[in-house]
Amino acid sequence: PLKCAPKTFWVNEGKHAKFRCYVMGKPEPEIEWHWEGRPLLSDRRRLMYRDRDGGFVLKVLYCQAKDRGLYVCAARNSAGQTLSAVQLHVKEPRLRFT
Amino acid sequence: MLKCRPSAPWTGQIIVTEEEPTGKSSVFPRYCCKCFAMWFSLYYGGCEVGTDSWSQCNDTPVKFARFPVTGLIEGRSYIFRVRAVNKNGIGLPSRVSEPVAALDPAEKARLKIVLIKGAASKSTQAFSEEGHYLYYPEGIIPGPPTDLSVTEATRSYVVLSWKPPGQRGHEGILYFVEKCDAGTENWQRVNTELPVKSPRFALFDLAEGKSYRFRVRCSNSAGVGEPSEATEVTVVGDKLDIPKSPGK
Repeated sequence: PLKCAPKTFWVNEGKHAKFRCYVMGKPEPEIEWHWEGRPLLSDRRRLMYRDRDGGFVLKVLYCQAKDRGLYVCAARNSAGQTLSAVQLHVKEPRLRFT
Repeated sequence: MLKCRPSAPWTGQIIVTEEEPTGKSSVFPRYCCKCFAMWFSLYYGGCEVGTDSWSQCNDTPVKFARFPVTGLIEGRSYIFRVRAVNKNGIGLPSRVSEPVAALDPAEKARLKIVLIKGAASKSTQAFSEEGHYLYYPEGIIPGPPTDLSVTEATRSYVVLSWKPPGQRGHEGILYFVEKCDAGTENWQRVNTELPVKSPRFALFDLAEGKSYRFRVRCSNSAGVGEPSEATEVTVVGDKLDIPKSPGK
């Protein structure tokens, strides 16, 4: 259902990645985060919350290489559904030998 | 009357930002706050999430980069910030911390974890120490106690008494007493360690000549309820002549 290729973002390994999506609709849509086609559940490293400005936030703490992939914010209410997606890449540090 | 039709959801483009990990959170017996490694003396300021009032936690600067914050209301979430100080003055505050819920671990385990998709009402959300899980208490939180009054006030102590609330669950109720310097709205819990079981409480460590107001909250395993109405201002040192209510 994606019309065009999603944007790509890079984060450095070990840093936190914060995804923020603003959603509108009436009645208030319910949202769900997906990663690589699977619904994401919050755990110690993946936090989901709503920020003070009403945006939906997914925070992936201490990013690892395996966190790369397509992240989708899916919103639905009684009138319909929609989604927004981004691709995340994790930049691994170059090992230095001294 | 205008009726609004439903409108399909619309999502903006997701924005991803990279954040520097803020370091280890230092955990204290009861509460924790994220601190920043600094070798200055620090001022810690705390703030209840959802309000905009910052209050200073420590009277004198502390040198260690950890600080236990007390006087929190259980079940509420707080954010923290830190300011460094040296002989020239106080620096700008740090970025605020993630919200931290003042829940003790045993209390937290009793709460049922419900992951709320999207629209959670602000009043029911709570945050875990690590971040942003949302909790709904299982049982019913008791209402405020009633008829709170100062029954004795002397130079060395003040005695409060009150009546249990009408709305309560099957379990016993515990009480938390809060005091506030007259003229301010800085409510501080008095019995931070031990909740009170009986509807009576004596406060001993009040400053003579200062005036205070008091209020009481009920609590059970579901959480801590709304406060009672506050008492009138009481001056410590007054020999209160409490009138006996007629018929007693």
